[in-house]
Amino acid sequence: MLYDLRHADTRIKWLVTCLLATLGLSYVFGALMVSLYAGFTPRGVAATYRGREMSMPMPPETTMVLEHPMSVAEFAKPEIHTVDANLLIQDTHVHVPMYGMIAAALSLVVVGLSLERRWALGLITVLFAAPWLDFAGMWLTKFASPHFAIVTLVGGWAMGLGYLVVAALAVQQMWFSRERS
Amino acid sequence: MNLPMRLVAIAALLHITPAVVLVKRPDAVQALLPGADAYFAREVHLSTPDAHRLHKAVDWSPEDGVLTFYVGRTGSAAVGALEFVRVDTPHGPLEVAVGFTPQGTVRGVLVTRATVEMKPWVLEAVGAGLTNHYRQLKPGDAPNGAAAIAGQAGDLAEYIAGEVDKGVARALAAYGGFYRGSA
Repeated sequence: MLYDLRHADTRIKWLVTCLLATLGLSYVFGALMVSLYAGFTPRGVAATYRGREMSMPMPPETTMVLEHPMSVAEFAKPEIHTVDANLLIQDTHVHVPMYGMIAAALSLVVVGLSLERRWALGLITVLFAAPWLDFAGMWLTKFASPHFAIVTLVGGWAMGLGYLVVAALAVQQMWFSRERS
Repeated sequence: MNLPMRLVAIAALLHITPAVVLVKRPDAVQALLPGADAYFAREVHLSTPDAHRLHKAVDWSPEDGVLTFYVGRTGSAAVGALEFVRVDTPHGPLEVAVGFTPQGTVRGVLVTRATVEMKPWVLEAVGAGLTNHYRQLKPGDAPNGAAAIAGQAGDLAEYIAGEVDKGVARALAAYGGFYRGSA
C-alpha cells in the first residue's frame, strides 16, 4: 500500500504527530470539563441528563405544599448542572459533526498504520461508534431511563481509549519502528 | 417579540459570558434570615390555574411549576422566609435573593448570581443603593429600583436594576399569592 506512515515523508509524520498532540490536548480538557459538570459516574451523568426527578410529574389539581428541614450546609451544595432537551439538541448539533471529523482524522491515521485489516476495521468502528454511544446514552437517559447513563460513560471511555490506541501505535510506528525509513 | 428583537436576542445568547457568584447562598441565607437556627424548604407545587395566575401577574413561571420558599426559625419563633428567583436576561441569567420578615415585608434583597459581563453593572447599581429601595415593600407593591437610581448610576447599571426589579416583583407575587403559614 502506498500510504504507510512508517515510510512516510518526515513532514507527514510531523503533521500526524502535531494532529495527535492537538487532539490529545483537547481530550484532556474535554475530560476536565466532563469532571466539572456531569462527572464520571452513572449517577452524575443521569442527574445531568435526566434532570431533577419530579416528585409530582404532573401539576396537581390543587396547589400543594411540601416542607422538609434543611441545614445551612445544604445551601452550599453545588447546583447540579442539568441539560434540558433544547440544550441537548444544541449539544448534539455542535458536537456530533465535530466528533465525526475527529473520528475521520484518527481513522485516516489508522489507515496508514501497519495493522491487520480486521484490527484496522475494528479500530475505525470504535472511533465512530464511541460518539454515537456517547450521545445515544444522553438521549436515552433523558427520555427512556437513567440506567442508560452507563452507555454515555462507555462511549466517553471508548473515545478516550480509541484515541490512546491510535496515538500510541502511530507514534511507535512513525518514530520508533525498526522498519521506518 | 418581533423579528429584529428575536435576532438581537439570539445574537446575544450566542455570546453569554460565564456565570459568577456574587454572594454565596449560605451567606445570603444568613444575611436575609438573621439569627435563624433551623431552616426548612417549603415547596409549593402549583396547580395549572395557579401557575397561570402567577404567569399572568408577573410574566413568569417557576421551574417545573414549583415555588421554593426557604423558611428560617429560631426555636418556635419565625424569622422569615427567603426566595431565590432567576431572571433570564439577554446577557445571561441573574439570580436575586429576596428575604421577607414574618410580617410579610421585604427584609432585604441580594443579587447572588450574574454573568461576567453583568457583574460590573450589578456592582454599580448596588453601589448606588439599589437594594435599599426594596426594603419594606409588601405584596402588591411595585418595585422601582431602576427609577430610584436613575441619575446616580450609568445606563447599564440602570438597565440591570430593571432586571432586578423583575426578580423582586416575581418574589413579591409568589410570596403574596402562595406563601401561607407561620414565618
